Parts: sequence; structure tokens; C-alpha cells
Amino acid sequence: MEQQPELSADVPRAWDRPVFSVPILVFLSLIGGQFASFSAAANLYSIGLGGALAWVGLSPRIPRRAVPARLGPGARWWLLPILIFGVFEAATFMLGSRDDFPTFSKLADPLLEDSLARSAAYFAWLSAFWGLVRR
Amino acid sequence: MRQLAIAGFVGALVLLVVVEWTARREGSRIPTLGDVCAYVMRYEVGPVPVGRIAVIGFWWWMGWHFFAR
Repeated sequence: MEQQPELSADVPRAWDRPVFSVPILVFLSLIGGQFASFSAAANLYSIGLGGALAWVGLSPRIPRRAVPARLGPGARWWLLPILIFGVFEAATFMLGSRDDFPTFSKLADPLLEDSLARSAAYFAWLSAFWGLVRR
Repeated sequence: MRQLAIAGFVGALVLLVVVEWTARREGSRIPTLGDVCAYVMRYEVGPVPVGRIAVIGFWWWMGWHFFAR
């Protein structure tokens, strides 16, 4: 599992700079925020956009940023929020995600009904996706 | 019970932000979440980039789950 230095780049390309990527992500997020949950358009848009980013992310031709050779013991701190979140998600899911003990997505649904909040959430999802693709 | 669930999720998200903020401080021994994801994505089984497929696939599913399902 050797790192491939010819495919790693710490210097961003022109298209990889925030001045290019942020307006595109904002534009895509504003469109995505207009589609209501459970609609065919929302399904097509999220699957299509995510599929395109997944394809880019799995393509070996896209330059990637350098990867740390190893993680130190400090990485264990990440288990704390992940475990707490996982315990609550598992517990609420196993108890049926009722109104009095809801899963995270059930709590998020009313917040995502507003198109502006939905666009903001779309922007967070796409930004993180774009970050993963280049890693 | 509802307040307990909200407190649990909010607490986990606050902790996530705190750990990321700590990781970005100069001289921190904690890697950033991006570094952790990049390390996980390095995992391969033979020629198959299993870690990359898993992380990217999970994030793809997250978007569909929250915005479409």
C-alpha cells in the first residue's frame, strides 16, 4: 500500500481553488435545496450528483493530497464523538425512532423542510464530499 | 426521553467540533478528521481500494438519506 507521489499534490490546481469550487458548490446547493424529500427530483439529483462525485473520487487520474503515513495515538480522541453518536443512533433506531426518542435523521427532517436550511445542509454535504474526493 | 436524544446528538456534534478545533491547533498530536478519513481511505485489499469505496460510498448514502429518502 505504497503512496503514489505522482498522484499526490499539495499545491492546488486552478480548478481546485476555493475561488472556483465554492461558487460551483453554492450553485449546486441552491438547486438541491429546492427539491422536497421523497420527490423523484430529489432522488435523481442527490444520486446523480453523489454518483458523479463518487466517480471522480474513485478515478485514479484526479490528483490527491498527501496522506499521512500513520496516525498517532491522538487519533483515539475521534472515537469519543463517534461512539457517543453511534450509541444514541443505535438506541433510537432499535426503539423504533419514536417521536419521544427520535433518530438523528428524524430530528433533522423538520429543519430540512426550509429550502434555505436545506441548501446550507447541501453545501456542507457537497463541501465535505469534495474534500474527500481530493484526499 | 426526547431531550435525552437531542442532548446526546448535540453533545456528540459539539465534541466533534472541539476535537477538530484541537487538532488544528499548532503542535497538536491529534490528526484532523480529514487526515483520519484520508488514512482510512488508503486501505486496499489487493487492487481494490476498499477504504476509499467505503468512505465515499457512505458519504454518498448520507446525502441521499437526508435529502431524498
